[in-house]
Amino acid sequence: MDAKAAKDSSLVERWIEDQREWQKTAMAYMDSMVKNDDFLVHLGNAMRGSLLAGKPYPTAPAAGAAAPPAQDAPADDRLDRVLFALHEMQGQLTDLRLTLEELRNGKKGPPPTMPAPRTASAKARAPRAKPSAKAAVGKARPRRPARSGKAGKARG
Amino acid sequence: MSTSEDEQERELEALLELSRRGRAKLERLHEVLTSPGHYGTGATPSRVVYRENKLRLLRLLDEHGQPRAGRPAVLFVPAPVSRYFIVDLLPGRSFAGHVAAAGFDVFVIDFGTPTSEDRYADLPYYVDGLVRRSVRMVSTITGQPAINVVGYCLGGTLSLLYAALYPETVARLVLLTTMVDGDVQGGIAWVAHRMGLEGESYENPRLVPAAEVKSWFEMLAPGSNSLVGRVSDLWERLDDPAARLRDVRTMATWVDDVVPAPGRLLAEMYRQFGPGRNGLMKGTSTVGNRVVELAAVRMPVLSVSAEKDAIAPPEGVDAIVQVVPHAEVLRLPGGHVGIVAGRTAASLWQRTVEFLATSRG
Repeated sequence: MDAKAAKDSSLVERWIEDQREWQKTAMAYMDSMVKNDDFLVHLGNAMRGSLLAGKPYPTAPAAGAAAPPAQDAPADDRLDRVLFALHEMQGQLTDLRLTLEELRNGKKGPPPTMPAPRTASAKARAPRAKPSAKAAVGKARPRRPARSGKAGKARG
Repeated sequence: MSTSEDEQERELEALLELSRRGRAKLERLHEVLTSPGHYGTGATPSRVVYRENKLRLLRLLDEHGQPRAGRPAVLFVPAPVSRYFIVDLLPGRSFAGHVAAAGFDVFVIDFGTPTSEDRYADLPYYVDGLVRRSVRMVSTITGQPAINVVGYCLGGTLSLLYAALYPETVARLVLLTTMVDGDVQGGIAWVAHRMGLEGESYENPRLVPAAEVKSWFEMLAPGSNSLVGRVSDLWERLDDPAARLRDVRTMATWVDDVVPAPGRLLAEMYRQFGPGRNGLMKGTSTVGNRVVELAAVRMPVLSVSAEKDAIAPPEGVDAIVQVVPHAEVLRLPGGHVGIVAGRTAASLWQRTVEFLATSRG
């Protein structure tokens, strides 16, 4: 009978110990929530089945967002057009700098690696609306009437 | 003790064990969530050698913090709509690091995260602009007129277009899970096609939100976005050692950490390469005002597909031999991400090194 009591006691003690351990686990989570600003983000990601580190799980797009809405670009997108034109110019300046370095070093110039100028016929084949900085400032609208095209998604 | 009491005791013991296991998993999860993880940077030490817009061109360094100058140059071109560090995931799990350790001077393009103005970025901006200047910069730095290029997925498409336009600057070309035949059913473009999505406008593009980009990939793997399924998977994985969980976390960081996409680029790529257009196979694709002649791709080409690739179906990848007949085609077991950075990725890395090394010296 004593042996049985000891065994029962052991089981009870282990249950109590288990409960204490659960309290410790819960406290560890509470502690991290309070002390670590990012912990809730991490925990939220984990609860979505993701261990994504450092930033929140991408929020699902709003209903219907899978089919892109009618094009709703900002009415005045001049700033973005200018900024992008500046990025393009930055690249062109790099090309010029590299070409100058090659000339200075007596190497063959860059013609083989320079994109050919765009022609009107080619433009018709591959329509683009890439404005120059000047055009972007002066005309903040597409060069041709907008035409919506099917588009796909690609990734790698 | 009666049989009934024995059964009760066994049940209690079982419950106690269940409780202990559950608690152990939660403690493991706490440990993973509170320990430093991999927060989206390359694993191999590197130096930024060129910046343009959001792009950074990284040059990997050796164990002494020095570039591997004098070695054959290799440029990795990851996809511009995901994070670059998939090719440099973890120490010991880095494709780029492996190639560097094999004796190459490795450069990696990080296209960065597009912002609002980048919605106007199109195919010429990437191919004639960012990729061309990156190659040019590598050539200038290394003094090598022709370098090796390794493109992954959409980065492979950009690399193939670039190689066709500027073949004299590419010594060898490796294409990883790069779709060539857009009419092969399946994959990310067909998801858009089948769903009848209205699509992006070329003329009036938007910056496609990261969450929307993510939703396309979740469409490719039905159930992958199921909360129950994902939490269940995670719960099972919490039995793994913490080190393994760190690997999982790093991979999850890449898979879940998508970036916004330039709408104009997507619109142009769909119009040129998507189902029904199939410009690479038909020879009608253009970059700006230049027609892309794949016949110009005369350098050695290795094209790698993945058997279980849901994003770029292997048949659409292997079709490259129809337009670049001398291309060596390799199909590996695994999925789109796994063959590059998974546990079995070493076979791809080694094959790539052998391919790149063939013409060295």
